[in-house]
Amino acid sequence: MKRLYFDYHMQIKYTSPASECHFTIKCIPIDSEVQFVEKYDIHIEPDNVYSTGVDSFGNKMVYGTVRDEHSYFAYRITGEVAVGLGKSDIVENENMVGIYKYPYGLTVADTEIQKYYDLLMKNMDEFGIESKCSDYDKSIALMHRIHEDFKYQKNVTDIYTTAEDAMKLGCGVCQDYAHIMTTLCRMMKIPARYVAGMMTGEGFSHAWVEILDGGRWYALDPTNDIIISDSHIKLGVGRDASDCQINRGVLKGGGNQTQVIHVIVKEI
Amino acid sequence: MNDMDLLEHTGVVNELLARYGVKFGIYKNNTFKEQLFPFDAIPRIIKKKEFDYLEKGLKQRVVALNLFLKDIYSDKKIVKDNVVPEDFIFASSGYMAECEGVMPVKGIYSHISGIDLVQGKDKNWYILEDNLRVPSGASYPMIARELCRKGSPRTFEKTKIEDNRNYAKLLRRTMDHVNVDGGHTVILTPGRYNAAYFEHSYLAEQTGAHLVNGSELIVENDKLYYVKYNGEKERVGAVYRRISDEYLDPMNFNPESVIGIPHIFDVYKKGNVALINAPGNGVADDKGIYYFVPKMIKYYLGEEPVLNNAPTYLPFYEEDMKYVLENFDKLVLKDVAEAGGYGVVFGNSMTKEQKEKFIALLKSEPRRFIAQEVIDFLDIDILEGNEQVPRKADLRAFVLMADEPLVWKSGLTRFSRNPDSFIVNSSQGGGFKDTWVLSQ
Repeated sequence: MKRLYFDYHMQIKYTSPASECHFTIKCIPIDSEVQFVEKYDIHIEPDNVYSTGVDSFGNKMVYGTVRDEHSYFAYRITGEVAVGLGKSDIVENENMVGIYKYPYGLTVADTEIQKYYDLLMKNMDEFGIESKCSDYDKSIALMHRIHEDFKYQKNVTDIYTTAEDAMKLGCGVCQDYAHIMTTLCRMMKIPARYVAGMMTGEGFSHAWVEILDGGRWYALDPTNDIIISDSHIKLGVGRDASDCQINRGVLKGGGNQTQVIHVIVKEI
Repeated sequence: MNDMDLLEHTGVVNELLARYGVKFGIYKNNTFKEQLFPFDAIPRIIKKKEFDYLEKGLKQRVVALNLFLKDIYSDKKIVKDNVVPEDFIFASSGYMAECEGVMPVKGIYSHISGIDLVQGKDKNWYILEDNLRVPSGASYPMIARELCRKGSPRTFEKTKIEDNRNYAKLLRRTMDHVNVDGGHTVILTPGRYNAAYFEHSYLAEQTGAHLVNGSELIVENDKLYYVKYNGEKERVGAVYRRISDEYLDPMNFNPESVIGIPHIFDVYKKGNVALINAPGNGVADDKGIYYFVPKMIKYYLGEEPVLNNAPTYLPFYEEDMKYVLENFDKLVLKDVAEAGGYGVVFGNSMTKEQKEKFIALLKSEPRRFIAQEVIDFLDIDILEGNEQVPRKADLRAFVLMADEPLVWKSGLTRFSRNPDSFIVNSSQGGGFKDTWVLSQ
C-alpha cells in the first residue's frame, strides 16, 4: 500500500473567443478494492460551476457549460489516494461484464490484428502459454509479447487511432498499447477493458488494461510491461478510450486551440 | 370496394397532399431528393373482429418488448436464463452500453412502436418487423383521411369507420403521461431536410406540441429548457425526438452532431426530462432479436403469442444453419444490421456465383443474418390509371404506451408499385393507402 498525491491540470487557450463551451470531465478517481480516495478537490475555470454524475461504466464525471465568451478553459483536480490495497479489483456490476467481451469502437480487429492473433495462436509454445493456462497467465504472456513487438513513439497516433491502425504502424503511445491488448484479450475470449488513469511521475495521463479472471479484475500495464500494484491511480474504465475520455467538449468559435496537460503523481 | 365517388377523387387528394407538402425526402448518392408519397384511394379495410384480434396481439407484443428493454438495461434475466444468447445483445449495433442502469420515466422505453405486419394468402397475419426507435408514418393516413373526407364526404356517411384522426389525442396522452414536472412537450426535428419533416410539423400542429430544432433547447442546472424567440427560457418535460440516438447528444454520443443537444442525455439519466422513445431501443428491434420476440412473450408474460412471426431461422444455431443451407432457394435472407428494405435477398434470385459467395459470408458471420420463409402476401388492389391491379402491401400498425397500451385503429398501408416486388418501403418508391378499421 502507498499513499499518492496527484495533481491533474489541463488548460486550453483559444486564439479567438469561445462560447457555448460544453464540457464533460471524467477525471475523478473512484473508490474500489485496490484504491481509496482520501480526498480530492476540483476547480474549473473560468466559471467554477458544474453538475456531477456517474456514467454507466461507473465513472464519476462533472459536466457543464460555459456560455459567455471566454479565452481559455482550464480545470485542476488534486487529491490523495491510497493505492495497492489489493491484488485484484471487485466486479462492481455483474450485468456489465458482457460489454467487455465484444469488440467495440476503437477495439475492432481487422486484418492486421487478426494476422498477429493468428500467429500467436499458431506458436503457442513460443508465446509462452498453453490452452490450460488461466486467463490471467495468458494475459501476462500477451502483455510481454505486445511490449516486445510494439514500439513506444509519440506523435504518430492520436486519440481516435484504432487498435488496428496502431498495429499497422507498429508504434504508438499508452492508449494504443491498451487498445491493442484489449482487442487481443477479447479475441482470446478473455473479458478486458480499457483503463484511463495516472502513474507516479510527472507528465501526462496514462492508460492500461484490466482483464477478468475468476470474477476479479487484474490490472496490467503493457506500455511498461508490469502487473500494476501501487504506482497507478485509476480514473475511468470503458470498452475503449472514448468511454472514459478524460475530457470531452464542444464549443462555438475558439479559433486555434492549444491544450496543455500537466500531471504530477508522487508518493506521500 | 366499389365506391366510385372516392376513387374519382384520387387526383384531387394527391394534389392536396402535394400542396400540404406530404413528401418523402431521400438521400441517394449524396444528393437530397424530395418526392411525393403517392396515395392510392382504395383503402385497406379491416373488419372490426379482425382488428380486435390484431389489437390484442399488438398490445401483447409491445408490452413484452418494453419489458425486454427494461430487463436488458438492468438485470438481463432473459440472458441469464438462456432464452436470448448474449451475442444478440452485446454484439447488436442497437445496444447502447451508455443506457445501462438508466431508468426512463415510468419505465417506458418504447412509447411509440411501429409494428409491420403482412397478411398472407392463407389470411393469416404475420409480424414482419418491429420499429421501436423513431417509427414514422402515422401522419400519412391521418391527413389522407382528412382530405378524403373533404373530397368525398358521402363515402364516410354511409360506411362506419373508426375515425383515425384521433392519433393526435393518443399521442398527446402518451407524451403527457411521462412529462416531467408539467413542462413543455416538444417535437425535436433535425430540420426540413429530413425524410419525415412533413410528419414532424404535422404532428406538432395536431398535438399542440412545440416543433423545435436542437438549437432551441438548452440544458441548464440539470434541466432542459426551451429558449423562446425573446430569449426567455421555459422548462421542457418531454421531448418527442425525431432524431436518432447517435445524434441526440454530442457530449455523450457522436461528437460531430450539430442537430443534438449537449448534455440532454445527462439530464435524461437524472430523470429530469422524458425522451420519447428512450435511447437504446435499437437492441430490441433488430432483425436478429425479432426471432426471439415470441420467446420474450412467453418469458415475460407467460402467454402464447397471439400474433406470429414469419417463420424465421437463425443460422447462429447449427440446426437452423443446416435448414437454411438445404432450403436456400426458397428462403429470403436478411442482414440484421440493415433497414429500409436494404440488405434483403431472395435465395432463388442469386446466380450460382453470388450464392456461393453469400453462403461463405453466412458461414463466417452467422449472427449477421436471418432467413425467412417467403410469405405469399395477400394482394391488395391499387388504381393504375382507371384499372384496378393487385399489388403487394404491408401494414404498419402503431402502438402507443401511455398509462395503458393503446393501438391506433388505423395504420399505414404501404404498397409496392412494381408488380413483381415484395419491397414496399417508401424510401424505395412505394406508395401508401389509408387503413380503414370498421367500427361495427
